[in-house]
Amino acid sequence: MSQSRSFRAGIIVLLVASLAGLAVSLYAYFTPLTGVDGTLGALVVILTSIALVIMTLVLAPLSCRSGRVALRVLILLDLVGTGFAGLLLHQWWLTAAMVVGLIGLLLDMASPAASKSPAHS
Amino acid sequence: MPTSLPQMPVPALKLTAQRLGTATALALLLAPVPLFAQDQPADASQTSGQSDAQSSSDSLSSDSQSPDSQSSDSQSSDSQSSGSQNVSVAGSSDQENANRPPIPLVPEKPTWDSFHGQLNAQKYSPLDQITADNVGELEKVWEYHTGDISDGSGDIPATVWSATPVFANDTIYIGTPFYRLIALDPGTGEEKWSFDTKSSREALTQPVLKNRGVSYWEAENPVAGEPCQKIVYMGTMDAQLFALDADTGELCKGFADNGVLNVNQWNDTHAEWPLSVLQPPTVVGDHLMLGWAGMDWAYEQAPPGTIFSLDAQTGDLEWTFQALSDEMREKSGTANVWTHMSADRENGLLYLPVSSPSPNYWGGNRTEEAPLATSTTALDIETGEVVWSRQWVHHDIWDYDINSAPTLMDITVDGEQIPALVQATKQGFLFVVNRLTGEDVWPIEERPVPQGDGTVEGEVYAPTQPFPTKPAPLLDQSEKPKIWGLADAVGGGQCSRLWDDLWYEGMYTPPTTKGEGALTYPDSSGGVQWGGVAFDPESQTAIVNTSHIVQYVKLYNREDYEEADSGSGNESGFAPQKGAPYGMRLKVAMNWLGMPCWEPPFGELVAIDMHTGDVKWRKPVGASQQYGFFMPERWGSPTIGGPAVTAGGVVFIGASMDAKLRAYSLETGEELWEDQAQAPAVANPSVYEYKGRQYVAFVAGGNTILKDQVGDQVVVYALPEE
Repeated sequence: MSQSRSFRAGIIVLLVASLAGLAVSLYAYFTPLTGVDGTLGALVVILTSIALVIMTLVLAPLSCRSGRVALRVLILLDLVGTGFAGLLLHQWWLTAAMVVGLIGLLLDMASPAASKSPAHS
Repeated sequence: MPTSLPQMPVPALKLTAQRLGTATALALLLAPVPLFAQDQPADASQTSGQSDAQSSSDSLSSDSQSPDSQSSDSQSSDSQSSGSQNVSVAGSSDQENANRPPIPLVPEKPTWDSFHGQLNAQKYSPLDQITADNVGELEKVWEYHTGDISDGSGDIPATVWSATPVFANDTIYIGTPFYRLIALDPGTGEEKWSFDTKSSREALTQPVLKNRGVSYWEAENPVAGEPCQKIVYMGTMDAQLFALDADTGELCKGFADNGVLNVNQWNDTHAEWPLSVLQPPTVVGDHLMLGWAGMDWAYEQAPPGTIFSLDAQTGDLEWTFQALSDEMREKSGTANVWTHMSADRENGLLYLPVSSPSPNYWGGNRTEEAPLATSTTALDIETGEVVWSRQWVHHDIWDYDINSAPTLMDITVDGEQIPALVQATKQGFLFVVNRLTGEDVWPIEERPVPQGDGTVEGEVYAPTQPFPTKPAPLLDQSEKPKIWGLADAVGGGQCSRLWDDLWYEGMYTPPTTKGEGALTYPDSSGGVQWGGVAFDPESQTAIVNTSHIVQYVKLYNREDYEEADSGSGNESGFAPQKGAPYGMRLKVAMNWLGMPCWEPPFGELVAIDMHTGDVKWRKPVGASQQYGFFMPERWGSPTIGGPAVTAGGVVFIGASMDAKLRAYSLETGEELWEDQAQAPAVANPSVYEYKGRQYVAFVAGGNTILKDQVGDQVVVYALPEE
């Protein structure tokens, strides 16, 4: 696998996981009888999932090394926090999505290209 | 349908979640949450007691469990001016009752036609289609939403719906907190008819709109072609009792004033509030036994605690029962019955769970004997005369209303069959007595209890209180509950400081004006609430859910009260006790984030072998939840509501904060099934058979005592059809 493909794969996995997490969160909040519909907890994970999507999209083209490191830390915190909230909300698929996102983040971090310029540049 | 992608259980993840109990504190930090709603149980009228009080001398640090017992006084009571007044006799109905066959205590056919299923309040069904082996296959058959729901954010007060679906006349009947009565098809949930009482949607006596459903009567020998041979009844907050034809939903013109009885006609005390009929009448033969609810936290004096016996067809008053003497009524009141009752028709006895007198937390105006207050009292069904009575709290100054119908049961103890009853209480005690005589089955001891600290003017204290020796208390009230280290750490030592500022010398530590007040474990939140005790007559196993909640009560003199009063919730916060020299404040012991200051579990389901009085098993029940976050199930949940038990070896219960409905093994207590409801199911479920299929039905209505979540859902489950 080339460096650029590895880098892209990590970002893509992270993005897909974030979008999946957002979908699950929206479902949990708006669908009756999820056990957490209309609750503050479900609203919080919607917001953190949106934040995750945005941070992933920002991370993809980001060339500044310190910026990438900082963003990855934030993404990591978001993934862990949202995943843990998923457990407490009994939204197991949300937690699963965050685990997948974590794998994506690790792939991205493991890629040598990650410390250089973005793959598409 | 609640089956959704995100809800599919992933056992491994669930296990992980359970193991992350400690880490849950982080979530609480992120999403601060009072584990328990600010509100506490409020149902109603509570009262106080009287007593034999001598003020005391040495204050005994009552380790309530230490038995220096004196024997308990079982009072056979004829209480002077308290007692019954025979107002009129409804002619032939007495004779008809006498001729009716008794309702067997081990039922031969399934019955669920009242609040507690059966008149003996066993909440037991002999149906065995659903078993411990197949209950996991239960599926939702239908659900129905009444639309009668309010979260209190608008002009209409919040709704609290504690109804048990009543199955009778091949119909499911429900009442709603907007005081509509609805008849549904038991197999499909299709609406047959509905009736709107157009009652006021104002919180006249309670802080919320409450309803505990309906009751049902049918003529033993119905007259063909005549309406109202089967009647459903429902009361309203504004003291009206409606009687409707069970087939058509039309008002029964022959009942009271064209189908509506004004119960407030008997309120002879004051006009500040009506005699709310939130609990439907208990139907005993051709009699309706009717209690009421009021505002005894607010007022010193209240109407007398009275049961009205009414003719089921005409609404005519037959007799009344008054728990307090006429002399005492001049300054006190309540000692009412605001929840369901039970009855043994074979022996002609009606059993009343009588609440405490008013004002609830100060008894200086009622120092005389009031032996029927805070009691289980057995009345003659036909006359209302007291047959026996057992007082469970002398001179009640804790609002320990007896809040659930005693459960009648035949038990075998040491080889002897005993016609018994079990009275559950807010204190977490289960008192077991012979239901014909009121005598102890297992010894109930009078033990010394703490006396006052001298700060409360005019108060007197009962020197002893009754303690059952068996079954053991459902929670250990003998010493100050241990502080939950996690909550204390998160609160920066707040719980420890609170504990240091609370007086506690064991059960029945009286209210005080000092510090933050006296710790109560528990107080009005229970213990056991109105769901009461279920009983499997085959294995002679009693099932009861209990909450572990620490509260604290403080009295304020008038001047201080006016400064301190910051409002009240559903049975919590400040209450003025107008007319008394002290206002009061009752709170749940929590840290600033709303975490309970005491150790989990916060609620349990307990099975008791009634041959021996020993606990067979006890398990945390449900999960606490706040802002959507579920706490680990091993911490349990406080509960409002109660269980139902079946011959299939299954216990069904909602009642927990997480609004889930669950089934447990009667034998082991293992959780076998769960499903999500719209709100906590805060009444007993009902179990019925219709066209050869067994169903279990829940009303998910919520109660602000538990948390601020309301519902309007009736949901029914059965096994898949083959």
